[in-house]
Amino acid sequence: MSVFSAFARRPWLLPVLFGAGLALYPVIRPYDIYPQTVLLLAFLLAIQAVGWNIISGYAGYVSLGHSVFVGLGSYTAGVLSVRIGLNPLLAAPLGGIVAVVAAVLAGAVVLRTRGHAFVIITIALLLATQVIAVNWDALTNGSDGITLPLPPWSRDIQNVPFYVAFLVLMLAGVAFSAWIRRTRFGTGLVAIREDEGKAASIGVDTTRFKITAYAASAFFPGMAGAVYAYFLTFLNPVGAFNVLGSVMIVLAALVGGRGTLWGPVIGAFVVSISAELATVYGGGAQSRVLLFGGALVVVVLFLPAGLLPVVQAWWRRRHPVAIEYTDQGGALSAGRYELRPRVEPVPVEPGPVQHDVPLLEVRGVTKRFGGLVAVDNADLTVPRGSITALIGPNGSGKTTLFNLVTGTMRADAGEVRFDGTRIDRLPPWQRGHLGLGRTFQLTRLFRSMTVLENMVAPMPDGRWRTMVADARDGREAERARELLAFVGMARFADTPAGALSYGQQKLVELAQVLMTEPKLVLLDEPAGGVNPSLVARLSQIVRDLNAQGVGFLVVEHNIPMVLELCDPVVVFSRGSVIAHGPPDIVRNDPVVLDAYLGEDWSDGASPAVAEVLK
Amino acid sequence: MTQLVQALVLGVLVGGVYALMASGLTLIFGVMHVVNVAHGAFLIMVATLTWWLWSRTGLDPILAALIMTPLMFGLGWVLHRTVLSRIRGSSVSMSVLLTFGIALVVEGVLNVTGGNVFRSATPEYFDESFVIAGMALPKPHVFGFLTAVVVLGLLHVVLTRTWTGRAIRATSQNHTGAALVGVSAASTAALAFAIGIATTGVGGSVLSVLYPFFPASHYDWISRLLGIIVLGGMGSLPGALVGALVLGLAETLTATYLGLQWSTLVFYVVIMGVLLVRPQGIFGTRLREDVAT
Repeated sequence: MSVFSAFARRPWLLPVLFGAGLALYPVIRPYDIYPQTVLLLAFLLAIQAVGWNIISGYAGYVSLGHSVFVGLGSYTAGVLSVRIGLNPLLAAPLGGIVAVVAAVLAGAVVLRTRGHAFVIITIALLLATQVIAVNWDALTNGSDGITLPLPPWSRDIQNVPFYVAFLVLMLAGVAFSAWIRRTRFGTGLVAIREDEGKAASIGVDTTRFKITAYAASAFFPGMAGAVYAYFLTFLNPVGAFNVLGSVMIVLAALVGGRGTLWGPVIGAFVVSISAELATVYGGGAQSRVLLFGGALVVVVLFLPAGLLPVVQAWWRRRHPVAIEYTDQGGALSAGRYELRPRVEPVPVEPGPVQHDVPLLEVRGVTKRFGGLVAVDNADLTVPRGSITALIGPNGSGKTTLFNLVTGTMRADAGEVRFDGTRIDRLPPWQRGHLGLGRTFQLTRLFRSMTVLENMVAPMPDGRWRTMVADARDGREAERARELLAFVGMARFADTPAGALSYGQQKLVELAQVLMTEPKLVLLDEPAGGVNPSLVARLSQIVRDLNAQGVGFLVVEHNIPMVLELCDPVVVFSRGSVIAHGPPDIVRNDPVVLDAYLGEDWSDGASPAVAEVLK
Repeated sequence: MTQLVQALVLGVLVGGVYALMASGLTLIFGVMHVVNVAHGAFLIMVATLTWWLWSRTGLDPILAALIMTPLMFGLGWVLHRTVLSRIRGSSVSMSVLLTFGIALVVEGVLNVTGGNVFRSATPEYFDESFVIAGMALPKPHVFGFLTAVVVLGLLHVVLTRTWTGRAIRATSQNHTGAALVGVSAASTAALAFAIGIATTGVGGSVLSVLYPFFPASHYDWISRLLGIIVLGGMGSLPGALVGALVLGLAETLTATYLGLQWSTLVFYVVIMGVLLVRPQGIFGTRLREDVAT
C-alpha cells in the first residue's frame, strides 16, 4: 500500500520509471531483435494515438483516417531520399511539416463549422492521398512503390537506432500533449468538446483552435512516418495509406482512455501487443479485421471511457475525498470586489476614445425564422455605465436579440455597434475579445471540467501568446481563485462543474464571464431559479461591478429586482421595443401593461398582477 | 458532342443509383444523429449475397433485391434493438466509432467466409447496351436507375403519406417535440434505422451488377456516400439526391475527359469547393443553438 501511495503522491514517478526502463532495454539486450521490433511498433502506434488524442480526445472531433500522416511522412522521406539522396532520419522534421500542411489545408475547409463533416473528410483525405500516390507516377513511382537505401549500421543491432528514435518521438509527443493540455489552448479544446457554442461566447476562436489542434495532432506522426519509411525500406501506396492503420490508432486511444494523457500510450501497448499475439497464435492476417472490428464494438459498448479512467475511478473510490458544501455564508458576506486588471493588458491601438458613443447600439435589427419574425426592426441603446434592463413577455424575442448581439445567430438586417465598432458581421469570439460577455438562461458550464478550468477557459483576446499561456498556474489562475472567492465558490475550484447545483453554476458562470474583463455583460435571467437571499447578493455584485465601469444588459422576469436595479428599462414586445425610460415611467406606461397582461387587464381581468407590476 | 451528352446521361443514371444508396444513410443521420459508417459494408455484404444467389440459382441479381430488402430491414431492426440502442444519448462520435467497428466486423466475416477476392454478378445483359440516338446506354445502368427511381418514389410515399413516415420526419425535426406528442422515440429510431438499412438491400443488389467488388471495397463506397450527404447537407433527402447527381456527373465527366483514376479525387475537390462556400452543405441547415429551453 505504501508503494502505491508513494506513486500517488508523485505523479511523475511512474512515467519516468517507464521511460527509463524502455530506454535501458536495448542497452541491456541489444540483440533481442524480435521483442525490440514488437516494442518499436507499439511506440509508433503510441505516437499516432497520442497525436489523434489531441484532435479527437481533447477537442472531440473524431478522425478515422489518422494513419494518413504517417503515410505522408513516409512518402516525404522516401521521395527525398530517392530523388536527392537525403537521409530519411534528417528528413523526419520535413515529414512532420508536410503532415501539418496537409492537416491545415483539410482542416481549414471542414473545421470552420460545427458538425460531422470532419470525420468524413478524414477518411476522404486518406483515400484521396492514396489515389494521388498511386497515380502521380513521376513523383511517387505509382503502385510499384519506392525502395529506400538500407541503413548504414550493422545488421546485428539494426533495430536499436529505430527503437531509440521511436521512443524519443513517443516521449516528446506525450510531453507535447501534456504541455497543450496545460495551456489555454488545451483548455479551450476541451471546452469545444463540451459545448462549442458556449466556448465561442467566451472568446475561444473555435475555428483556429480546431485547425491548430488538427495540425498539432499531425506533426509527430508525420515525423515518425519518415523514420518508419527508413525502417521498412519499402513503401507502396496501399501499405502507406491503410485504413486498418487508422483503426488501430482509434482502438488504441479508446482502449486506453481518450482525452487522457497516458491513455493512448497504454492503449497502444495493449492493442499492438495483442495484435502481434493474434497474428502469431491466432488466425493470422485474415482474421485481423474481424478481431479489430469486434474489439472496437466491445470497447465502445462496454468500456467507452477506456482503461485509465476506469482505474482512476476505482482508485478514487478506494481513497475518497471529503465532500464540501456551498459556502453560502461566504457568498453572502464577501465584501465588495475590486476588479483587478489582467496581468498582461492587451496593447490598445491608439485612437480617439469615443466617450460620446453609447456602449451598445442596435439599429433596425431583424431576424426571421421562416415566416416568424422574432426580432422586427429593433432599436436598442445601452448607455455607457448603465445597468439596462430588457423586459417583455415570453416569446417577445429577448433571447433572440441576445443571440444576435453576441453573434450566436446572424441578423437578417440591421446593424449592431459595440463601443463604436460595428460587430454584426464578426464571429462570437471576436465580439468577446472586444469586451462583450454573456451568461445563459440555463447555465452552460463545461460539465466535465473542474470549476477552476472553467474559469481559465475564457480567452480575453485573440493573440497566440494568450493561447499558449499556462492556464493552471500563474497569475491568471490566481485571479480565477479570487473571483471564485468573491462569488463564494472558492472551495469548489477542483470540483467538476457538472457536480454543482443550479444556483452554484449560476455564480460560477458569472465569475467566468468576468475573467475576460468585459465592458458589457449580457445577463439572461440571472435570478431565475436562485433563492431570494442570493438574488439580493447577485444584485449587489452587479451594482459593485457597475460602479467600477462594467455595463450590464439584463433580461429578467423578476420585475421587483429589475425596477430596483436597472435604469433605463427597455420593454420588448413582438420583436421590437415598445417603451423605454427610467423604471418609474415605464411601470406606469399603459402600453407596457397591455403588452404584459393583454388589452383588457384594466377591466379587472387580473388586477393582482397589475398590482405586482405597480 | 455525343460524347458529352452520353457522359451527362450516364452521369444521371449513375447518380440515381448513388442517390438510392445515400438515401438510407442520410435518413439514419437525420432521425438518429448516427453517422452509419457501416452503410458501405452492408452494401458489399448484400452484393456478395446477391452474387452467391445468382451464381447458385441464376436468379437475376437486381430481382434479388426483393429478397434482400426484407432481410436487411430485419437485420437493421435487430441491430438497432441489440446494439445501437445501447449508445442512445451519447455523442455522435461514439456512434461513428461503433458503426465503424460494425463495418470492420462485416468486412472480416466476408473475408473469412468468402475470401478476399474480386467478384461481379454477370447476367447476360451485363455488357449489353440500349442504343438511343447514337448513344450507348449500358443496360445494367438503365435497370439500376429505374430500380432506384421506383425505390426512392416508394420511400417518398412512405415518408410523406403514412403515419410512420410522419413520425419519422417529426422525430428528425424535433426529437423532444415528437416524444411529447406521443411518438415513441425508441421505436421510431429503430424503424428509421431498419428502413435505412433496407435500402442497402436494393442498393447492394444493383451494385453487384454495376461494379466489381471485394470485402474491402466498402471503404470506397462509404467515403463516396458520406461525401454525397456532406455535399448535399447531412440529414437532407433532397440534398442526398443533388449530391448523388453531382457525384455521378463528376465521375462520368472525369472518366470521359481526364481518366477514370482521377474521378474520386475530382469528387473530393468538388466537396471541398462546396464546403468552402457553404460549410453546412447545399441543403444543410446550421445546427440550432440551444440557448433557451
